[in-house]
Amino acid sequence: MTMDRHPTEDLPAYALGALEESERESITTHVAKCEQCTRELAAFEDALYEAAAVGATGVGAPGREATVNPPRDLRTRIVLRHRGARVVGGVGWPERLRAFFLRPVPLFVPAVLAVLVLIAFAVVGTSRQQTDAYANALAGVADGRVVALAPQEGNPDARAAIVIPARGQPYLVVRLPAPPSGKAWEAWVLKPGPVAVPAGTSQDGGVFTLVLTSPLGAGNGIAITLEPIAGSAQPTTRPVLAVDRT
Amino acid sequence: MGSSDEKRHVVLPDKADDVRLVERIAGGDAEALGELYDRYGRTAFGMLYRMLPGPEAAEEVTQDAFHSIWRQARSYRRERGSVRTWLLAICRNAAIDWRRTRGKRVEREVAIDGAAELLSDAKVDERVIDALRAEKIRKAVGELPAEQREVLALAFWGGYSQSEIAARTNTPLGTVKSRVRLGMNKLRERLADER
Repeated sequence: MTMDRHPTEDLPAYALGALEESERESITTHVAKCEQCTRELAAFEDALYEAAAVGATGVGAPGREATVNPPRDLRTRIVLRHRGARVVGGVGWPERLRAFFLRPVPLFVPAVLAVLVLIAFAVVGTSRQQTDAYANALAGVADGRVVALAPQEGNPDARAAIVIPARGQPYLVVRLPAPPSGKAWEAWVLKPGPVAVPAGTSQDGGVFTLVLTSPLGAGNGIAITLEPIAGSAQPTTRPVLAVDRT
Repeated sequence: MGSSDEKRHVVLPDKADDVRLVERIAGGDAEALGELYDRYGRTAFGMLYRMLPGPEAAEEVTQDAFHSIWRQARSYRRERGSVRTWLLAICRNAAIDWRRTRGKRVEREVAIDGAAELLSDAKVDERVIDALRAEKIRKAVGELPAEQREVLALAFWGGYSQSEIAARTNTPLGTVKSRVRLGMNKLRERLADER
């Protein structure tokens, strides 16, 4: 359907997101090439979201607290997830890789991601490219929640994030040097108690993935320590990366 | 009212500064994303908290929304609206997507003017909107007829289409459309008048 006239009557509902999908299409096409309607739409949306911003600073539902604050570490997690990551818009292989990962095949993502990240690391192998591989791996997570682990004292360059997919096992995307001979990186699920449950080991270095072998409960923490290759029953060294709550 | 202390609360973000932040994000600067979060994160979280079942969902969707902001920064066009509008629209769309994918239509239909009794809270994020402006917005929204506020709230917070609102409220579709149009036009005019 084409639209030559300005959709003046429907622009308010369009701005509000109250049109059916079939109604939206022609207006989207028109607005994209009409400066006047672009300005009109911007005016409606600015007014609407300004009003919403006022409402959003408090919660109006009866019985709810008057104000609500995000978790204190949310900013850190958002920044850590993107630090060193490339943004969309480039034309190099990282973008094609990211687009590939964005395909709606959630269960397929972890395995392919692990393979491609390892291939990328094997081919290039420099610190900078490791940074890119790590960031691209996280930026390519199409379906799931990502929680960054914080590097602990003495390990400022260590990076890891837990990816909790909508379906399938949670897995870690990790950037760490190869462990010393006879050692491995071991993941732990931190449960209330506190109890540290072994959740898998890896002798890899660079950027790698580690699928958790223990269930991750709601709100559990995650840590990574250096342990003997066979793994330990309890952590024997201080964590290199950890997050108290996922 | 009107004391020098209160005037210090008028620290609205400079729009040009917002745009520079988005440009830095588009250039791959994660710290700029953090600065944008400092400005609008609390507002975004608050809005999502109203739209979703609880703080865990709001936290998850806030993360997803800022990831979308990171990915879409290059596509931001200032002629299409302010950074705040762009950011909050991304958040709202993320919340609607979350509800669709989880198959949950959350019954949290807080009226769009539901903040009217809440803006006296001193914790209002004064970096997003100053107290005097907030008061004017509350007044402008409060002066809309109740039936217009209702359809705006159902559409905005509930994510309902006009057809769905008509069915839910047992109101003719034409009447709902008329209320949406009138309500949005009045909101726009009154907020413009208050600038």
